[in-house]
Amino acid sequence: MTDSAITLGGTNPSVDQPSLIAQAVPPKAGRIPGNDAVWVGIYAEMTEFALMFVIYFVAKVQYLTLFDQGPQQLNTLAGTLNTLALLTSSYCVAKAMACIRIDRPQTAARWLYGTLACALCYLLVKSWEYQWNTEQGIGVDTNIFFTVYYYMTFNHFLHVAWGGGAIGWAIFQLKRGAYTADNHEGMEAIASYWHMIDLVWIIIFPLLYVLR
Amino acid sequence: MTTMFKLNQIKPKTQDAVWLTLMMLTLGNALIAESADPSLWVTVIIASSIAIKGRLVVERFMELHNAHRWIRFTMNLYFLVLPLMIVAVFTFPELFADMTRI
Repeated sequence: MTDSAITLGGTNPSVDQPSLIAQAVPPKAGRIPGNDAVWVGIYAEMTEFALMFVIYFVAKVQYLTLFDQGPQQLNTLAGTLNTLALLTSSYCVAKAMACIRIDRPQTAARWLYGTLACALCYLLVKSWEYQWNTEQGIGVDTNIFFTVYYYMTFNHFLHVAWGGGAIGWAIFQLKRGAYTADNHEGMEAIASYWHMIDLVWIIIFPLLYVLR
Repeated sequence: MTTMFKLNQIKPKTQDAVWLTLMMLTLGNALIAESADPSLWVTVIIASSIAIKGRLVVERFMELHNAHRWIRFTMNLYFLVLPLMIVAVFTFPELFADMTRI
């Protein structure tokens, strides 16, 4: 493989996708994905949610009956749809990262639009779910289960909202050509942060909607 | 540059398979939420699905499979400790209640 093949591969239509992927510069082993700063943020967020999970466990063992009844009163369909949306959004981000590594910023941007659509879907479903809860007479102060539920899910809701803003910024940067196969540290940092948001929901969904 | 890179990057088909697996696990969890009564086995199945989903996203979507070993270790540890906590709290609720009562 020559240098020119690596440099021009991404814009040469005669080069098929598998060979492009074979030519892509792989992520360096032992690297810190994105940059150090985003990992400080990710660890801070994971710690914040870990504390919420500890509060959930403490409240659960003290009020077993309420935590048995609580999930049955929630809208499982909304929780499931949001889980599917967030997992799909992470998939789109992973696809976008694969595209930028073979120097296809426009395709990467399209995948990130998919992520934005999933984020919007999540926000709409969650808003509808809060409205549905209100109609069922469920509120923050109904009981300790719902206090934990609102504290955890609204906090996560905010993370999806500003994480979506970061994805929008990555799309803007892709459109102006700021990210390339050789230089996409900022995009990888945003991707890592977004995956963290998805990872937290992977835990929240079963804790609040499934486990009794 | 004359040598072919050995690719550490996740292959597109692997990403597709991971996404499908995550979808199936989520739908399985939703089915359990709607139909199954609480039991140790149900709790173990749900905790296992959290561990599997977390690990798949960490390793395959976040691409930490070849990242700095401490980042990979701590992120995977998170998805080992949380599922174990879920099973422990289900199995010994009174013990944990005594430990956390003020």
